[in-house]
Amino acid sequence: MNQDSQCQKTTSQFNDPARLSVLKEKTIRSVFFCTAIFAVVVIAFILLFLFLDGFPIFTEVGLIDFIFGQTWAPTAVEPLYGIFPLIVGTVLVTIGSMIFAVPLSLGCAIYISELASPRIKSILKPATELLAGIPSVVYGFFGLIVLTNFIRVTFDLPTGETWLAASVLLGIMALPTIISVSEDAISSVPREFKEGSLAIGATRWQTISRVIVPAALSGIAAAIILGIGRAVGETMAVLMVAGNAAIIPDPIWNILSPVRTLTATLGIEMGEVAVGSDHYHALFGLAIVLLVITLVVNLSAVAILTRLRETRTSCGNVEKAWLTPANKEKLVRTLKVVVVLGLALFLIVALPLWIAGGIIIAGAAWHFLREKISEKYIEKIAFALVVAAAVIVLLILAIILEDIIVNGLPAISWEFLTQPPADLGRAGGIFPAIVGTLYLVAGAILIALPIGIGAAVYLIEYTKDNPVTRLIRTGADLLNGTPSIVFGLFGFAFLVLYLNFGVSLIAGQITLAFMVLPTVIRTTEESLKSVPDSLREGSLALGATKWQTISRVVLPPAAPGILTGAILSIGRAAGETAPIMFTAVVFSQRYLPSSVFDPVMALPYHLFILATNVPGASTNKYGTALVLLLLVIAFYSVAIVIRNHYVKKARG
Amino acid sequence: MNAKRSSYLIVTLSLAALLIFAMFGAGCTSTESKTTAATSAPTASPTVAATAQQTVAAASTTAAVTAAPVSTIASSGEKQTIKISGSTTVLPIVQKAADQYMATHEGADIQIAGGGSGVGVQAIGAKTVDIGMSSREVTSAEKAKYPGLVITSVAQDGIAVVVNPANEIDYITLDQIKNIYLGKITKWTEITGANVPNTNNQIVIIGRDSASGTRSYFDETILSKKTPTNKMLEKNSNGAVLQTVAQTPGSIGYISIGFVSDDVKALPIWYNAQDIVAPTIDNVKTKTYPVSRDLYVITNGQPTGLTSDFINYILGPDGQKIVADEGYVTLS
Repeated sequence: MNQDSQCQKTTSQFNDPARLSVLKEKTIRSVFFCTAIFAVVVIAFILLFLFLDGFPIFTEVGLIDFIFGQTWAPTAVEPLYGIFPLIVGTVLVTIGSMIFAVPLSLGCAIYISELASPRIKSILKPATELLAGIPSVVYGFFGLIVLTNFIRVTFDLPTGETWLAASVLLGIMALPTIISVSEDAISSVPREFKEGSLAIGATRWQTISRVIVPAALSGIAAAIILGIGRAVGETMAVLMVAGNAAIIPDPIWNILSPVRTLTATLGIEMGEVAVGSDHYHALFGLAIVLLVITLVVNLSAVAILTRLRETRTSCGNVEKAWLTPANKEKLVRTLKVVVVLGLALFLIVALPLWIAGGIIIAGAAWHFLREKISEKYIEKIAFALVVAAAVIVLLILAIILEDIIVNGLPAISWEFLTQPPADLGRAGGIFPAIVGTLYLVAGAILIALPIGIGAAVYLIEYTKDNPVTRLIRTGADLLNGTPSIVFGLFGFAFLVLYLNFGVSLIAGQITLAFMVLPTVIRTTEESLKSVPDSLREGSLALGATKWQTISRVVLPPAAPGILTGAILSIGRAAGETAPIMFTAVVFSQRYLPSSVFDPVMALPYHLFILATNVPGASTNKYGTALVLLLLVIAFYSVAIVIRNHYVKKARG
Repeated sequence: MNAKRSSYLIVTLSLAALLIFAMFGAGCTSTESKTTAATSAPTASPTVAATAQQTVAAASTTAAVTAAPVSTIASSGEKQTIKISGSTTVLPIVQKAADQYMATHEGADIQIAGGGSGVGVQAIGAKTVDIGMSSREVTSAEKAKYPGLVITSVAQDGIAVVVNPANEIDYITLDQIKNIYLGKITKWTEITGANVPNTNNQIVIIGRDSASGTRSYFDETILSKKTPTNKMLEKNSNGAVLQTVAQTPGSIGYISIGFVSDDVKALPIWYNAQDIVAPTIDNVKTKTYPVSRDLYVITNGQPTGLTSDFINYILGPDGQKIVADEGYVTLS
């Protein structure tokens, strides 16, 4: 087909349905490409803006002194801008949170998708998604009041605000993301795999651990990357529990030392700093370093995934041919030894001796007795661990919910829900904040969902792996790792000041949309991948166009997964404080917003101010948290009903 | 096939380029409109009259305090909006003043956001709001960048040194506070009268973040501009410091006296046996308590209209009563 001549003819042959449909297909493709490139454009804008404001500090202090400087003292008489301790803090806290979150969430995901009865599943899955809807400010206060105190008493420390506390809290916050996405990945492994494995006599556990989980590995890896993104980018919660002393733990594995992360530094210092000062530029420099770290994490994750995929056959969901068995054996064995030794060393120095000893002895016993135990017992032990993981997750949820409900219920009344606040929120209600949050979330989803789904469709349906898609994916991953506070600053500088929106609803909606965009893209991608290629091929073979195939064949079965992404996004958008703090919200207003250029009140921000700057508002503080939670549950229920409907339809 | 693919690429890339240019274009045009708007009426603040900058109110803010606030503005029932943002420390005062003001002035809509002192100064400098709030002094760099800023102090704030109630300490000297925060004293046993039962008496030092107005004031007056030890745990709000001190037996921290509650023990400053000064509102007012600072509202150019009327309201008797009610210290 000669493209040029075709283009010339198009106008004259407008009545020819075939030509028209080619044009239509091309237009659709272009639209999808535009949505896909959008993530890259956004990240480019953010980077541009960060560099403009961060560059002066590199010339002022010098890149080496900035990154490897040991002291962060920006307001000293002779200011020092060394962020090395902050980088170390960020890395340590993130590693810790993943050590906590990955086993728990994988166990939970396996339980939900493979072991749980449909009834338990229908409770457990929404329950874990609920964890995502708890606002980070609530997590922060839960961490500050319950978790740090627990750690202080348990380990007999002067203060419980430690690396451990931050890691555990961030781990909890990353749980729902990892569980939801990896559960979707595990569920979407074709049933034939499972049946085949069971048919040749493998136990259920062998099937899960050797067939299903490896087949879902790419989805699980995506889930962990999303989880890391959440942990690295979290601001409001981590700054409440990490202690924020800008020191490197001494010794480096001292998990009971206070630490300070890059995001916490941004979160606690950004609001007050004089715009344009060295300190201000240093904070932007710090944000750049943070982005570089997420870039490195993402690129290495992508590299690992590519290696995994290289051995796969070209199309979708076919079981990968692993590395040659001998090589794999060797690799796994070396890795195992390294990991085990590292863990043992870590346990001995980090924890009290009796706990460390117990864990090591249990591990050793497991290793040596493994050969002697029949597969049945191994299965029992493994299932017990998996169930334990699910129970622990539920327990965590129950503890947090109990805290919010017990303290928040006394505040709830009809007046509280329908009145504007009075006496700084100590009295009166939160009606404008409820409406404002609904407006913000609805706007953000309306913007992010079409763009995100479009981008994912383009990535999966229209292209194979090439530099452009890699650029788009990297853009989306970077966006995912960008701390929410950076979105807030970007929104403030670009939307509020540069585009002259002012502090307004629309600025907040766009900022939140940018923030949830990568989640939508990632989850949509995963669910599109899970649609078997045979469906696409069948549709195309019957003469359907690409667009018809996508809209009628591919998207319907992918809808539940896409909805999961939307649910996660809603939960995140509703609970975030940092992105809207500078762009959209006011603490109070007399009238409800009449246009998108008016500012709004929002529940998480209201909660943040009540919690940090209004003494004596304890009841209404918890009441606000409870309402926010109920609101998110309401969102979820609607989405879950829709999802179940689709699942039934897809199966029926 | 190749030609087809590359033409696709060209089409899509040019579309993307168009998108980017459109965004830039939107940005540029709106910046232009912003600069033109700035001379007429900032879009974000419709109540500031178009001629506000030309007919600057002759009365200075101090003169306006003494003048009885005439509330002809916004009492007609016509809806007028002003936006305020900045320091979360000043927010409670301004918010409560706004609530009461709006109750008596039908049609006035005062919208208040936090964000921090830096945000407040930038927002008022860029005229996205009508009033900025700051709990620190405006820096000389900020003054140079935004020469039109008019700074009015609306209240005073004392900073109390607090410890956990479990600590047996009764009072503390300024020198001891200094040495604790510089990391020279690390055990409560090194301070006469101090003891925290059932602990190893390790001092947990709690402070504010380095951008906070409270912190810079504390470092300046108590630590003689030295940098506190990097073992200090940093918190980003009075509420968080209060919470941490209340639940950590060996801790010491500093907060606005408006925040002092029964959950913590506010320490009097010991000069000598006859001269022990407690952090009370009276002692801050008479300047006998050594650690206090001003809280500010900022306008860009002399305030007019509703903005001016509202600031006068805060400075007037009703506003100052709110200052006292919220635990801060009134001006006079």
